[in-house]
Amino acid sequence: MTATTLDTAVVAPAAYWTRARKTGLILTVLGVIATVVFGALASSRSAHFSFGTDVSGAAMSIPGRLGAIVFGLVALGAGLALYFTQARYGLWTSISLAAFVISSLCWQISRAATGDTIALGLLAQLTVLAALPLIYGSISGVLCEKTGVVNVAIEGQLLTGAFFAAFVGSVTHNPWLGLIAAALGGVLISALLAFFAIRYVVEQVVIGIVLNSFALGITGYLYEQIMQKNAAYNSPGSLPVWEIPLLSKIPILGPAVFTGTILTYGAFLVVAVVAIALTRTRWGLRTRAVGEHPTAADTLGVRVLGLRWANVLMAGVVAGFGGAYFSMVSATSFTKNLTGGAGFIALAAMIFGRWQPIGAFLAALFFGFAGALASILGSIATPIPSAFLNMLPYIATIFAVAGLVGRVRAPAADGKPWVKGH
Amino acid sequence: MGEETVLRPVRGMKIAAVAAVSGLALVAAACSKPAESPTSGSSSGGTAYKACMVTDTGGIDDHSFNASTWAGFQKAKSANSAIDISYVSSTSMDQYAPNLSNLAGKSCNYIQSVGGLMGDATVAAAKANPKIQYSIVDNGNGDQANIFPIQFQTQQAAYLAGYLAAGYSKSGKVGTYGGMKIPPVTIFMDGFVDGVKKYNEVHGKNVQVLGWDKDKQDGLFTNDFVKQDAGKQKSDALAGQGADVIMPVAGGAGLGTAANAGSKYVVIWVDADGCNTTQYCSVILSTVVKNSTDGVADAVSKAATQNGTLLTNTGFQGTLANNGVSLAPYHEFDSKIDAALKAEIEGLKADIISGKITVSSPAQPK
Repeated sequence: MTATTLDTAVVAPAAYWTRARKTGLILTVLGVIATVVFGALASSRSAHFSFGTDVSGAAMSIPGRLGAIVFGLVALGAGLALYFTQARYGLWTSISLAAFVISSLCWQISRAATGDTIALGLLAQLTVLAALPLIYGSISGVLCEKTGVVNVAIEGQLLTGAFFAAFVGSVTHNPWLGLIAAALGGVLISALLAFFAIRYVVEQVVIGIVLNSFALGITGYLYEQIMQKNAAYNSPGSLPVWEIPLLSKIPILGPAVFTGTILTYGAFLVVAVVAIALTRTRWGLRTRAVGEHPTAADTLGVRVLGLRWANVLMAGVVAGFGGAYFSMVSATSFTKNLTGGAGFIALAAMIFGRWQPIGAFLAALFFGFAGALASILGSIATPIPSAFLNMLPYIATIFAVAGLVGRVRAPAADGKPWVKGH
Repeated sequence: MGEETVLRPVRGMKIAAVAAVSGLALVAAACSKPAESPTSGSSSGGTAYKACMVTDTGGIDDHSFNASTWAGFQKAKSANSAIDISYVSSTSMDQYAPNLSNLAGKSCNYIQSVGGLMGDATVAAAKANPKIQYSIVDNGNGDQANIFPIQFQTQQAAYLAGYLAAGYSKSGKVGTYGGMKIPPVTIFMDGFVDGVKKYNEVHGKNVQVLGWDKDKQDGLFTNDFVKQDAGKQKSDALAGQGADVIMPVAGGAGLGTAANAGSKYVVIWVDADGCNTTQYCSVILSTVVKNSTDGVADAVSKAATQNGTLLTNTGFQGTLANNGVSLAPYHEFDSKIDAALKAEIEGLKADIISGKITVSSPAQPK
């Protein structure tokens, strides 16, 4: 009897504002906004959603105002459910956010000036395409940082990969050799990163930034000296698009997931392999050990620096493939600063994804989705000014990182050089 | 172990610094080359006329106004070997002012700036050096007597392109997007929209323009002039809505549109004839040409021959009438465009030149 009173006295009362309650409240507020504001702004015109990659063909239509209100209520309901049950965090959050987005679409499409339909197949396809370089880039980041090396040089890896792909693809008239060269380009920057960060224990963020400007300078210089003078050095052609029979005909997802170049399929494969390998193989265990506590790993006989070198180089291969996207998938030539900062968005995707491959993958898709949606809504002149549409991915990031991710923790030894015997 | 491991980061930092410097040096080397070595002309000693240019951040090879302005310099030099030409690059906007004042100190007789963003810096430099002839492309002179403005009524040529696009489209939808919402970009889009509207009036059709609303002055933008993947995404979105003619006004980003046209849509290029400056002639219906090359070449040549006297500050206005702006030849599409449509476009051109039709845009030079 006394024992039980003691027990209850010792247990601290749980804070009322748990993460689930906070998120639930935010989602509920968003739901109210959607119901009231979007509902009021929407017109009674129907919003159409077609399933293919263009606006012709089968479509589903939802009356604008009704849709905005109903989906707003769904968002609200899911928010309340999370607030009161404090369970199934991911499920309620996804339902609520998805309903919020659909409610906003019902409003915007019902007021669009130059169209009344958006093609969901196209939206999915543009989402995956825009996410591809971010997926490769963020997995490159994961490979480095899980092993304790900060990789700010993703942008440089992508850019060098894009350049090598264009140059070698043009010279050999073979896009496949271009693809291999892209990987080598990424490895080149990786090797420099490893050399300075591991061998010479230089501050890793600084060296990453230096490598980015180095990549920008050298590719820009070679572009002017070689490619601009002779277009034959800058026409790599594009990687072939493969459609998987039957599966590519699936509405909405078919054109996005089962139609694409080798880089589309490769991205899914890389994410799966890295996710499994990090948690289920000896290599993965050692990599994580080296990233968390290199001295302990060393004591147990893991070759810390060797493993770091190997992982950083592997990251270069992955990011290099991502670079090929820019010069052989979305375009058929290299131009100066072609990647335009995608490497930094990839870095954000990695952090947003909590240094986990699946998380980074989802974050990349999220960024890709925000960008693709902004383009599609812009093409039908919805009431939101273009400047706001272009901000969409970044606003989404701020909300996501601030509100949804919660506490993120990098590997403990991330960015800390390790020297044996110290 | 002690000394070796302590010194290593220092040594590493030194190597990294060398790498950084060499990388940046390459950027600089790539961007600015010194005056083309004066092979014959400047042997005339100190009498050479020094014409200098400051690029904006797009760099000398932007496939756009920096490139065509520099081409104007080269053209002037090839006509008059007494002209010495050189340029310096601005890699960021805060370099405009120091670049301009450096050139003034290097005894340049003629200093060319490019683009509206350099307007203020150019006026300030011109005030400080009243004896030097300044000139600016795509911007007014802010009532500064020694600045010669070179501007274009681009909306006139874009109007013809809009009419052409509307007449060529099978789907009844045409699209456009811009790099940034700034006057030198939106002026193309305004003229394009008006041209389509004219076609609808003449033919009783209802061809729709996606991507730009002239009344609201808002539309689709990549917010960037280099990212080809962004250009591709915008044109995929437009094509998804059914547009089968697309005009990107986004510099290098527009290449992503041209590269992925396939059989989905055809492209109207801008600035310099896309058949000469890109590898995508087979999908380029025509180009809205802004002939800055000739405008600049004329200004430099004239300034050189009347060395010491300033040019009139009324400047140069490129119009359809003086061929400062034009619609490029149809090249590979020549046989695919209806002869009647071509004749109508010629007729419109004559009407604009004669003043029977006025094409206006909020972005046009005053």
